[in-house]
Amino acid sequence: MKINASFVKKLLARFIATELSRFGYENGILGLSGGIDSTVAAYLGALALGPDHVIGLIMPYGDTFGRDVDDAEAVASALGIKTRLIDISPSVDAYYTRFATDSRVLKGNKMARERMSILYDFSEREKALIIGTSNKTELLLGYGTLHGDMACAINPMGDLYKTQVRILGGHLGIPDQVLNKTPTAGLWEGQTDEQELGLSYTEIDEILYHMIDKRIPRRELIGQGFEEAKVDRLIHLIKGAEFKRRMPPIAKISERSVGHDFLYPYDWDK
Amino acid sequence: MKRKGECDNFPTMKVALAQTAPHLGNPNKNFQRHKELIDQAKAAGADLLIFPELSLTGYTLKDLTQDLAVQVDSDPMMNEFRLMSRELALVLGFVEEKDNGLCYNSAAYFAGGELLHVHRKVYLPNYGMFEEAKFFAQGRNFHTFDTPFAPTGLMICYDFLHYGACYLHFAGGADMIIVLSAAPGRGFSEDDAFATCHMWELMGETISRFSTAFVIYCNRVGFEDGKAFAGGSFIYSPAGELLGRASYTDEELLIQDVDLDLIRTARKKLPYRRDNKPEIILEALKRIVSRYED
Repeated sequence: MKINASFVKKLLARFIATELSRFGYENGILGLSGGIDSTVAAYLGALALGPDHVIGLIMPYGDTFGRDVDDAEAVASALGIKTRLIDISPSVDAYYTRFATDSRVLKGNKMARERMSILYDFSEREKALIIGTSNKTELLLGYGTLHGDMACAINPMGDLYKTQVRILGGHLGIPDQVLNKTPTAGLWEGQTDEQELGLSYTEIDEILYHMIDKRIPRRELIGQGFEEAKVDRLIHLIKGAEFKRRMPPIAKISERSVGHDFLYPYDWDK
Repeated sequence: MKRKGECDNFPTMKVALAQTAPHLGNPNKNFQRHKELIDQAKAAGADLLIFPELSLTGYTLKDLTQDLAVQVDSDPMMNEFRLMSRELALVLGFVEEKDNGLCYNSAAYFAGGELLHVHRKVYLPNYGMFEEAKFFAQGRNFHTFDTPFAPTGLMICYDFLHYGACYLHFAGGADMIIVLSAAPGRGFSEDDAFATCHMWELMGETISRFSTAFVIYCNRVGFEDGKAFAGGSFIYSPAGELLGRASYTDEELLIQDVDLDLIRTARKKLPYRRDNKPEIILEALKRIVSRYED
């Protein structure tokens, strides 16, 4: 689980710079929530591209998450990156005026996709490529909104567990109030990731690291002292989220099918 | 290269390792980059310049493999490399199409205006993030051949992680084992390198010492589809001592003086070559293979 934060920082900054340059972009753009993931991504982006080439979109729903907006602005100001504050409540409320619901999940997903829609719009307006902020823990557990906060052009942190993102954040010197903040997807007021997942990130990442990186089978994990119910809960979440990690299946009926036996690299001649 | 009786008492040569980040799927751009580095290596007085695996095409080719395959005898770029090798010897990686229509992950050794050898990768990794056997045909030999410097064996990346294959170059009389690599880095370590870099260096140290031969490993850097190539190209002496190592992240032209007399020195102290018993190994292998069951 340990990382050499200095090496990882250098590598991920290099990744961001390489990918943007390949696709002809000088600028990166990302949603800045005031949480640890988007803050670390912003720091890496600023390191890779220079602060003048990073745009942070701060997209609160009304004044629900006032403290997070303050934190996001503090991060942007510390880094010297450009920001734009866009309240998503008018467009989200307009939709729910027509299709009312009490479901917090529906509303949370709608907000995540509203932010995605704005990010892609500004990506084109600002000629800036979207830097993703999902980490490995979220990707494995499917703890993100498909076509919402998971949408991006490149994902520098998708192979780092939340715990490792926190180590990297400490090394990067991100503000303490962000580093030590209780993680939340911001789906509704008072919501926290750990409450919703039923385990702490420390517990989750410890199990995932052994299960995924070290390839230790379920039975052995339990034999090593990991709680059976927790291991099974994570396996259940991982299985249920495969669709979020893949392109949708194409019915393969021709002689050569996209994604199956028509296979070219993403970075093809870039 | 200075030979005995010339400027000093030892045959020394300069080996250059071009730790590049090839442009994926664009041989023309890579050819230009090769030429720039050849000029730089020449200016630095290098006798031998080595490029990484698939240096002309990039690594993650998938269906581009067939599109970019060339025949070593007729391809115009290969012909230019052959001509350029009049001034310094060149080792580089490319996709080779043989007359039989099969495509190989190949490495060519040019020197003195001639193609001296083509090695076709035997061990095609096909697990985890690798799928080479899906796109390449498998080579079938590890042949040690003569060069102006030393009897040499070529290997490509995963070939080198099979000590049986290294043994063939040892038994074949190689004084210099050259490994072209496109090794992605995996796993974290406490050093400023991926955990897997240690594995390659461990192999380099071990094989050089126990073969009493130089091991020259040229890896690449850069990203392809998110894979980070782990650099760290190196040269180990025939006594297993690290002579030079390149960055783990950056492009670099590593130029290293190599004293070929170290081969003789090492073999006086470490008589593995003298005591090798290939005929016993051969007979034992035959017995092992004859007992295979599935």
